[in-house]
Amino acid sequence: MPLISDIKAIIAGFGVTLHHMLRRPVTIQYPEEKRVPYPRFRARIVLTRDPDGGERCVACYLCSAACPVDCISMQAAERDDGRRYAAWFRINFSRCIFCGLCAEACPTLAIQMTPDYEICKRDIMDLVYEKEDLLIDGCGKDNSYNFYHHAGIGVTQPRGAGLEERLPVDVRSLLP
Amino acid sequence: MPKLIIDNIPVEVPEGTNVLEAARSIGIVIPHFCWHPALGRAGACRACAVKMLDGPVKGLQMSCMLPAQDGMVVSTTDAEAMAMRRSVIEWLMINHPHDCPVCDEGGECQLQDFTIAGGHGIRRYDGRKRTYNNQYLGEFIAHEMNRCIQCYRCVRFYQEYAGGTDFGVMGRAAMVYFGRQSDGPLESPFSGNLVDICPTGVFTDKTARFRARYWDYDMAPSICPHCSLGCNITPVARYRELLKVVARRNDRVNGWFICDRGRFPKANVNALDRPRQPLVDGKATSWDEALDALRERLNGFLELNGTQSLAIIGSPRMSMEGNTMAARLHKLLDTGKICYFSDSVHAGQTLEAVASLTPDNAASQEDVRQADLVAIVGSDLLAEAPMMALAVRQAWRNGAPVYVVGEETSTLFEYVAVASLSDIPLAEAKHPVLICGTNHVGSDIIDTAARNKAKLSFILDGPNAFGCALLSQEYGATPLSEAVASGKIKGLISFESDLTLELPAGIRVLAAADCRKTPLLSRAEIVLPSSAWVEMDGTFINNEGRAQRFKQVMEPGLPIKGLDPAGHPPRLHRNTPPGGEVLPTWRIIAKITERLGSEWIEDPLSDQWERLRELDAEGEGISVV
Repeated sequence: MPLISDIKAIIAGFGVTLHHMLRRPVTIQYPEEKRVPYPRFRARIVLTRDPDGGERCVACYLCSAACPVDCISMQAAERDDGRRYAAWFRINFSRCIFCGLCAEACPTLAIQMTPDYEICKRDIMDLVYEKEDLLIDGCGKDNSYNFYHHAGIGVTQPRGAGLEERLPVDVRSLLP
Repeated sequence: MPKLIIDNIPVEVPEGTNVLEAARSIGIVIPHFCWHPALGRAGACRACAVKMLDGPVKGLQMSCMLPAQDGMVVSTTDAEAMAMRRSVIEWLMINHPHDCPVCDEGGECQLQDFTIAGGHGIRRYDGRKRTYNNQYLGEFIAHEMNRCIQCYRCVRFYQEYAGGTDFGVMGRAAMVYFGRQSDGPLESPFSGNLVDICPTGVFTDKTARFRARYWDYDMAPSICPHCSLGCNITPVARYRELLKVVARRNDRVNGWFICDRGRFPKANVNALDRPRQPLVDGKATSWDEALDALRERLNGFLELNGTQSLAIIGSPRMSMEGNTMAARLHKLLDTGKICYFSDSVHAGQTLEAVASLTPDNAASQEDVRQADLVAIVGSDLLAEAPMMALAVRQAWRNGAPVYVVGEETSTLFEYVAVASLSDIPLAEAKHPVLICGTNHVGSDIIDTAARNKAKLSFILDGPNAFGCALLSQEYGATPLSEAVASGKIKGLISFESDLTLELPAGIRVLAAADCRKTPLLSRAEIVLPSSAWVEMDGTFINNEGRAQRFKQVMEPGLPIKGLDPAGHPPRLHRNTPPGGEVLPTWRIIAKITERLGSEWIEDPLSDQWERLRELDAEGEGISVV
């Protein structure tokens, strides 16, 4: 009988409404009330430092290559000690889609995502972050990794003194 | 012509081809490090293993060491061959450092590509890595020996192909070292090719150190503008700065290599004080105002002095497009003179040399490499055209005797010094080549070559000297020194010319267009900034009459590097980059002719040069002799 099924449907529908009326509200009263995201939440990007305080970023261009929206640009340069670093490093957050591919591509753990999602600005140019805005004084999520200790070339330590290296060979020696 | 089957694809290759090349010819790339098309095989890296299923040899073989033979059945995907390749690459990677992020080769590294292609992904060996100390190899090449995989390509190129003696291989067993006896700049004028030829990052270009990655490069096929040989190159730019130059293969011309003179100088393009804005009497102005001023002054000048008093000057370093347009401007104004060369003796010799070349007797660099006798007359090849000296060395390595008349300082090949041309046994050779510097062109050389059916190669002065000589004939050009000596010339308009003579004070330089800051520009009333060769498309005709196209590599403008001392590029938006208002010279001339009432010219190559419009920049070029 259609009449009975109609009445059933109406009662079931209002039942759902009544159920929700009696539930606790899920809305968070932002900005008075703020949610704390998980550490793995993907929001504002930072550049971190290694445990010795040096800049981790070696400006290898992998993040800008991985970036699907082309919001990262940089220029690599060389310090006197041979360390490669970013002379300038720019992320355009008005374009960033927070996909996290840059952090995944980074071979030195320099670029990391933080849970800081509140980056609205009045002027869109203020969303173009330069290196001084991005660089933090800390290691971020991994506080032990230093790329140059594993790189296999001498930059932060004498040649051959890295963690997985033997001392330089003497090519003029006949000893094994 | 052996016929063989590779991965079920039948293929026929010329005699002497190895299996690796045969596979490449049908698009199957077998990982390889020590084999190089120009250097041949060494069998040092063991990475190119294939399985021979049937035929004269069977089992696992190194494809680079095995000449293709009839009846061979090759599998590159056989499980045994793949396991071998994977293991070999894993061994190579045992000592290779973990420094790709800070290595300039990263992204254009053969070792990266073939490691992935070979199927090696995760390091299993947990022992320590071997290290070396690096050497200082000069201002141009950086050395990072830890990355070496001992393929011997560098030393085979440097010592065998290029005849260098100061770089070699030392040590033994697992301590093999590629370098010099002690620190110091590499002496060979071809040392830059180590950067191209190293399959990994042992040798990298120091002048472009840490500047960009392969996937960000602005690149296009181009032609070297530093001498008349027209070697094929690929310039690399990023952020409006010319970073480096890489050799581009053209088997007829330079083969796989270029000289250091073509590779390393970049200052002309990147110079901050290069002309970048039109100037009228030293004051910066817009293109419209500068061209209006030029029209006014030109009309005033012609009214006062008559059309015969004006000379239009082209240049052997300007593209064919610019030079033909200069001739059209000359025709439009009906001016007294068009000049392409400064010096009358030099111009006469260049014209004579160009006139003597025919499609049959013009020698390309490949003809020189294949020659069985080489005679050099009055040319110091290493100073004037280094790649020609390298080509002569290849002929000498193949057993051709080299005879030299006059001065030759090259140590690339052994030669017999003779007093005159008649002492050279040209008649005994089947494919002799006569190489001659421009200053020694004479009927005796041309006649001797014709008598003995020898091919001729002239070393000219400038990347488009050949084109200028053809245009000189076509338009009856006068050398500038002659025009000035006649006393009729009262003013001139110059396009990219390097004047070698002292210009009398009475001659007005109405306008000068150039991409370099030449002394003539400081005398010019109106300065018109033109594009460097990497900032436009164009055509050069090299010393053998081969027209070759170069394509635009980069947008003109001041390099981003150094624009803002605060440390990052400007945060302002604008449509044209600062300093980006330069135009190709042919376009400047088109704008001038338009101002003078002619129609706008869309394509500069007209009349007999129309056939160059379709020139393919990736091809071998078109002969115009």
